[in-house]
Amino acid sequence: MITLKNILLKYAQRVILDIPELSLIEGRRYCLIGENGSGKTTLLRITAGTLKPDTGTIQGLPTEQVGYMPQAPYAFSFSVKKNVEIALDDDPNCEALALAALSKVGMISFAQSRGNKLSGGEAQRMALARLIAKPRKLLLLDEPTSSTDIRGMDLIESTLLDYNQACGCTLIFSTHSPAQALRLAEEVVFLDQGRIIERGPATQVLIDPQSEIARKFLRHWQM
Amino acid sequence: METIRQIFDLLFGVNPELRQIIWVTLRMSFFSTLISSVIGIPLGVLIGSNQFKGKRLLNRILSTLMGLPPVVAGLIVFLFLSRSGPLGTLKLLYSVTAMVIAQVVLITPIMTGLTANLISIKAPLIRETAAGIALTPLKRMLFTIYEVRVQLISTILVGFGRAIAEVGAVQMVGGNVQFKTRVMTTAIMMQTNMGHFEFAIALGIVLLLIAFLINSLVNRIQDRQIT
Amino acid sequence: MKKFVLFIVLGVMVISFTACTKAPTNPVIRLSTTTSVNDSGLMSYLQPVFEKDTGYTLEITSAGTGAAIEKGRTGDADVLLVHAKASEEEFIGEGYGEERVPFMFNFFVVVGPESDPAGVKNAATAADAFKAIVDAGQAFVSRGDDSGTNKAELKIWKALEIDPVGQEWYISAGDTMGKTLTMADELQAYTFSDKATYLAHDNDLALLLEETDDMKNTYAMIAITSARWEDTNYEGALAFIKWMTSNKASKMIAEFGVDKYGEQLFFNLDQ
Repeated sequence: MITLKNILLKYAQRVILDIPELSLIEGRRYCLIGENGSGKTTLLRITAGTLKPDTGTIQGLPTEQVGYMPQAPYAFSFSVKKNVEIALDDDPNCEALALAALSKVGMISFAQSRGNKLSGGEAQRMALARLIAKPRKLLLLDEPTSSTDIRGMDLIESTLLDYNQACGCTLIFSTHSPAQALRLAEEVVFLDQGRIIERGPATQVLIDPQSEIARKFLRHWQM
Repeated sequence: METIRQIFDLLFGVNPELRQIIWVTLRMSFFSTLISSVIGIPLGVLIGSNQFKGKRLLNRILSTLMGLPPVVAGLIVFLFLSRSGPLGTLKLLYSVTAMVIAQVVLITPIMTGLTANLISIKAPLIRETAAGIALTPLKRMLFTIYEVRVQLISTILVGFGRAIAEVGAVQMVGGNVQFKTRVMTTAIMMQTNMGHFEFAIALGIVLLLIAFLINSLVNRIQDRQIT
Repeated sequence: MKKFVLFIVLGVMVISFTACTKAPTNPVIRLSTTTSVNDSGLMSYLQPVFEKDTGYTLEITSAGTGAAIEKGRTGDADVLLVHAKASEEEFIGEGYGEERVPFMFNFFVVVGPESDPAGVKNAATAADAFKAIVDAGQAFVSRGDDSGTNKAELKIWKALEIDPVGQEWYISAGDTMGKTLTMADELQAYTFSDKATYLAHDNDLALLLEETDDMKNTYAMIAITSARWEDTNYEGALAFIKWMTSNKASKMIAEFGVDKYGEQLFFNLDQ
C-alpha cells in the first residue's frame, strides 16, 4: 500500500496541490485525470521524488525500481538502443534487454537511430522501453501518449497492460482522454485545482460521475 | 612599398625570432585554454544543472569575474608571485607558467559562465528524465556534456581566442622577455613603442589571421547546430 | 578728416598692442623626449617655470629613444631631447634637424643585489663589472628596447666582444627603465640604469658602480626643421633650446634632486 498523507504545495499563496490522503494498492492501475493545471503533473513529480512538497509524507514507496516518465522525455543524441541501456544500470545483459524492450514498443527498427532525431511520439515509446526493460514495482507516467499517433498509442497501452500483468507493477498515469482512462485504468482519481474531487473504479467515475466538476469535464465526451 | 616588402619577408621568410614568438604564444594559449576548460567546464555543468541555495549570488560573482579587467588579474597574480608575495619562493615570475596562471584566472570564469548558460537550457529536462530512470549524478553530468559537445567546442575556441589576444596580464607577469616570455601581443606593443612598425604589422597580420580562423570555425560549428 | 585720424590712431594702437605683448605666433611646443628623462621628473620640474617665463605651452610626450626620435621624422614633434649621439647624428644627417645642442650629462650606474655575488663593487669600469657578472654566472637584465640607455649598455658588451643576446643569463625586457628595474628587483639580478630613474624607483637593489668613464651619458636637444612639415614650430623649438641653456635653467638643473637624494642628478656641460 502506497499512502500519500497531507501533501501540500503552495506557490505564492496559490494552492498547487492539496492532498490530505491518497492510498494506492500495489499492482493496480490508476489514472489521474483533470484539466490542465489541475495538479496531475505535480502529483506525479512529487511521487517520483523530483519535486518536494511543503509538507506531507509518502509511505510504502518501493525504495528502488520506481520508473518515471515525464512529459516530453529527453532522448540523448546517442543511439536509441543506448538510450534504453542507460536505464539498465550496468546489467551485463543490458543490450539484449534493451532490444527486447524496444521490440515490445515497436521501436526495434530505430535501435541504431540517433535519439535526437526521433519524433515526439517515438521518443515517448523509447522512454517507455527504458522503463519496461527491467521489472519494476511502480511506474509513473505523465501523459505517455500525448505525442503519439493512433498506432503508437495502441502499442503503448498494450505494452503497459502486459507489463502490469506480467510483473504486478503499480501503474499511475495521467491523461486528458477519458477513453484512454477507461481502456487502461482500474481506478480513476479526478483532480481539480490541486484537490481530489472524486475517485473510484474507472467505469463508475467516468460513466456516472458524482461531482459537478467531473460531470462538466466529461460532458463533452460522448460515450 | 618597401614596408610591404619587409612585411612579406618577415611573414614568409626565415626570421627565427618571429617564429619563436608565435611558438611561445601558441604554447601558452594552449595550456591556458586546456586548464581553464578542465576547471571551468565541469564547474559550469554543475552550476547549470543544479538548483541550490546561493546560486543567484554565485552567478553574480561569476558575472563579475567574467568581466575582470586583464590588467587587474595580472596585478593580482603579480603580487602573489612577486618576491615579497606569498608565492615568491616559487620564483615563477617572468615565466610562461606565470602567464598561464594569470590567463587561467581570467579565462576560467568565462568558460564556467558560458558552459553554465549552455547547460541550463537542457539541464532541467535531462534532470527530470534522469531521475525517472535512476541515472547516477556522474552519468547524468557526462551525458549532459555529451549533449552539448559541439557547442562546448566553440566555447573552448572562444577561450583560446581570449588567451591568444590578451596583452595586459601577460605583459605584467611575463615581462615580455626576449626568447622566453615574449608573445605576439606583447611583441606588437614593444615594437610599436620602439617605432619598428614592419615587425609589429607582420605580427599583427598573423594574429588577425589566427583570430579570423578561430572565428570562422566557431561560426561553422554554430551554423551546423542550427541546421 | 576726423574719421581718418581715428582710424590711424586705432591702427597704431592695434599694432603696438600686438608688438608689446610679444605673444608667440604658435604658442604650443611639442617636445619629444625619452622615458628615462620623463621618469626622472626633471621635465615636470622645469616645465612650469619655462611656461611662465616664455608664455609658451609645452606638450611633452615620452617614448623609447627610437620612437621618440621617430616622432621628429613624422612631423609629430618640434624639438627632441634625447641621449643617443649616434642616432641623433643620423637624424641630422637625414636633414631633419640643423644641429644637436648637447647641454647636460649624467652617469649610468650598475645596480644589483646587495650581496653582490659578482663583486661588481670592486670593478674599475663598467666593462670590468660586466665581465665579472658573466664570469660569476649571474643574471643580467637589459632594457632591450634600442633606447639610449640600451645602446650605451650594448656598446660596453661590444667592447668586451661578448654577444649577450640569446644567452641564458641575459634577460632582455624590451621595456622602459622603470619596468626593467622592477624586473631586476624581482629577480635580484644585475642591471644597467641611469641614476635618476634608479633613485626615483622603489626597489631593493644596491648601487654598485657609478661615475666611470664608460658610463657617461650626454643629453642633447635638436630643433626640428620646418622644411619637411609645414606646421613645425621651429621658432618655439629655438626658444625652448635657448631657455634650457640659459643660466637660470642651468642653475635649476644643477639643483634638481639635491633635496630629495642629497646629490645632483644632472650636470651641466659647461661645468
